[in-house]
Amino acid sequence: MQRQTVIGRGVRVVLLTLVGLFFLFPIFWVLLMSFQTNQDILRIPPSLVFTPTLENYGALISGRLESTAGVLEIRFMNNLMNSVILAVSSVALSLLLGIPAAYAFARFKFRLGEDIAFTLLSFRFAPPLLVLLPLALYFQQMGLIDTYIGLIWVYQLITLPLILWIVRGYFEDISEDIEHAYRLDGNGWFKTFTRIAIPLAKPGIAAATLLSFIFAWNNFVFALILASADKQPVTVGALAFVTASGIQYGQIAASIVLSVTPTLLLALYAQRYLVEGLSLGAVKG
Amino acid sequence: MYSRIQDLANAVVRRQLDRRNFLRRAGQLGIGASAATYFLNRAQSTALAQDFDWQKHKGTTVKLLLNKHPYADAMIANLDTFKSMTGMEVTYDVFPEDVYFDKVTAELSSGGGNYDAFMTGAYQTWQYGPAGWLVDMNEFINDAALTNPNYNWEDILPNLRASTAWSGVPGAELGGEGAKQWAIPWGFELNSIAYNKRVFDAQGLTPPNNMAELLEVAAKISKDVDGMYGVGVRGSRSWATIHPGFLSGYSNFNERDFTMEDGKLMAAMATPGSKSFHADWVKMIQDSGPRDWATYTWYQVGTDLGAGASGMIYDADILGYFMNGEGNAEAGNLAYHAFAPNPEASAPTPNVWIWSLGMSNFSTQKEAAWLFMQWASGTDHALFGARDMDFVNPVRQSVWDDQAFQDRIAKSYPGYLEQYKASAPGSKIYFTPQPLFFNLTTEWASMLQQMVGNEVPVDEGLDQLAESVNRQLRQAGI
Repeated sequence: MQRQTVIGRGVRVVLLTLVGLFFLFPIFWVLLMSFQTNQDILRIPPSLVFTPTLENYGALISGRLESTAGVLEIRFMNNLMNSVILAVSSVALSLLLGIPAAYAFARFKFRLGEDIAFTLLSFRFAPPLLVLLPLALYFQQMGLIDTYIGLIWVYQLITLPLILWIVRGYFEDISEDIEHAYRLDGNGWFKTFTRIAIPLAKPGIAAATLLSFIFAWNNFVFALILASADKQPVTVGALAFVTASGIQYGQIAASIVLSVTPTLLLALYAQRYLVEGLSLGAVKG
Repeated sequence: MYSRIQDLANAVVRRQLDRRNFLRRAGQLGIGASAATYFLNRAQSTALAQDFDWQKHKGTTVKLLLNKHPYADAMIANLDTFKSMTGMEVTYDVFPEDVYFDKVTAELSSGGGNYDAFMTGAYQTWQYGPAGWLVDMNEFINDAALTNPNYNWEDILPNLRASTAWSGVPGAELGGEGAKQWAIPWGFELNSIAYNKRVFDAQGLTPPNNMAELLEVAAKISKDVDGMYGVGVRGSRSWATIHPGFLSGYSNFNERDFTMEDGKLMAAMATPGSKSFHADWVKMIQDSGPRDWATYTWYQVGTDLGAGASGMIYDADILGYFMNGEGNAEAGNLAYHAFAPNPEASAPTPNVWIWSLGMSNFSTQKEAAWLFMQWASGTDHALFGARDMDFVNPVRQSVWDDQAFQDRIAKSYPGYLEQYKASAPGSKIYFTPQPLFFNLTTEWASMLQQMVGNEVPVDEGLDQLAESVNRQLRQAGI
C-alpha cells in the first residue's frame, strides 16, 4: 500500500513536471531569446547553446537600437511607464468608484438599481472600435484627446464594470447579520462599510483588482486611437521592433520579459487572495 | 577649419567641386563623413533659400504622422536642415507599421486636425482621397508662389506621379484625365528576384528568366539544398499577398484584375490566361514554397532570405536590399535579378508600392505643411537619404543618376542597379483603382490560399472568385 503511494507520488511528480514544462516552455524560450542576438535566434536549426548578451536589454533601457538601418531611437521605457500610469490610475479610480457602488448594489434596493448596474456591465459588451471613433470626436471637442486623463477615463470601460460586478458578488456573499450587529453598537453605515464589509471582501477586491489590472495592462486600441506616440503603452511600443528592414526578435523577447514582469510580480503577490477570492465568488450559498 | 569646410561645401553647391573630392578634402581637415555631409546639406539648403522664401512660416509648428520605416528615419536624421532653413518647428509621432494605417484611418475619419501631413501608401489614397480627407496636391505643385523653383516635380519618375493620382472614378486610369494628385511619391519598391548567390553558385544555378525556369530552379533548391526551400513569396490572407511578386508576374502575361465592359467594371480573374498563371503559381508554392506559406508576410519572406532558409524571393527589391545588411546570416551573399516570367514579354512589369506623403484636409496650416513636404520630397533630401541612409528606392531620376549613390549601391549590392534599370520602365501600379480594393484583393488572396491547400481546383476557384467579385461590385453600384 505504502509502495503504491510512493509510485503514485513519483508518477504524479513526473506528470506535473511534464505539464509544467509544456506550459512554461514558451516563456522559457522567450527568456532565452532575450539574451541572444538576432543571428543566434534565427540560426537553422535553433540551438540552446549560445553566448548570452545583455545587448537587447541595454538597447531597451538606453533607448538606442543598433540595427541594419543604423542607430534608431526607441521609447520602450517611456511605453512601459505609460502602461504603469494608465493601468494603475485606471484601476485605482475604478476601485474608488466601483467598491462603494458594488456595496450599494449588493445591499440596497433602489429604483432603476438593476438597470444602472446592467448598463455599467454593458460597457464590456461594446466592441472598442465601435465606440472609439465617436469618442475621438467628443474628446477632440472636450480637449481630452491625447491626455492621460482622457485615457484613464476611457479605461474605465474596461476596469469599472469588472470591479463593480465581481466585488458586488462578494458583498452579497457576506452575511448581513455581521453588519447589523456592528450597526446595533451605534456605528453608521459608512463605518460598517469601511470596517466590516471591505475587510471581509478583501480577497474578492484583490482578485478583481488583479484581473482588471491585467485587462488594462493588455489594452491596445484605446491609446492607439486616442493618443499620440508619447502616450502609447507597451502593447503598442513592442511593435516598434517589427520594421520594414527586419524584425528585432531579441528586443521583442526582452520587451516581453520586461512588460510581463510587473503583472507577474503582482500576480505572485496576490496569488493567495486570487485563488481564495475566485473560489469564494464562484459558489453562491 | 569651420570656414574652410564651409567654403568647400559652397564650392560643391557652385558645382566647382564634386562630392567625392569634397569628402576627401574634409577628411584631410580631420572632419568625418557625417559632419562633412551636415555642412554640405546646410550649404545646399542656404543656396536653396536664396531662390525662395523658405522663412515665410517661421515660428510655425508642423505635426507629422509617420510609420516606423527607414524612410522616416532618414528624414528625422536630416530634419535639422529643414528647421534651420525655415525657422519652423516639426514634431512627429511614429507608429509601428502593424498599426500605422489603423491610426491614420481613425485620425482622418474622425476629422481630427492633429496632424498636418503623414505617410501613406498609394492604395490607401483610393479610400482617403475620394472621402475628402486629402488635399489635391496639384493645388500646391502648380502654384509658383508656393512652390520653390528648384522643386522639379517632373524629376519624380512619371509612373510614380501617375500612380499616386486618380480621378476617383472606379476603373479610370491612374494619372489619367481629371486625376487629382492625392499624394507625393517619397520612396518606392518594385518587385523582382533577390537570390542567395552563395547557394546558386554552389549548386551551379543561374537566376530564372521565365516562369518555367522559376519553377524548375526553385524545385531544385528545395530538393538539393538541406534546410532550404526554393522560393519565398507572401501568403497571408491579405491584399498584401497579391500586390508584390504575384501581381507583377500576372501582369507580365498581360492579365488584368478588372476589365471595363459597357461602362461597368468586371472581374477578369477567370480568363484562360489567368487560370494558367494561377496554376503555375500554386504549383510553385506547393512544390518549393515555405511550409507555413499561408502565414507569410513581408517579414517572414525577408527573414528567411536573410537567414538562409530560402534560396530566393520574388518580392520587393528593397526587401532583398535590407536583408543584405549586417545582422543577417546571409549578409553579403545576396544578389538581384530583374524578372519577366512571360517568355514573350519584352521586359519585366513590376507592380510597385509607393510610400508617399499626403496632406490632411483637416490641417489648419496647409501652406506650412507644403513647405515641409516639398523639402522632404525634394532633391537635396533625397540625395542625402540615398547616399548616407537607407532612403531607397529613390523616386527622383536625378538621384538614380547621382554617381555617389550609384557607387554606394554597386559596391554593396551587386546587381541591384542592373536589376533596377531593367525593371524600372515597366514599374507602376497594375491594380485597377476602385473603392473596394482592400476587400476584393483580400478575397483574391483567400482564394489563392484555398487553391494552394487543394481545397478548390484552380479553375473552379477563379470562377467562384470572379462571380463573387462581380456581385460585390454591383451591390456597391460600381
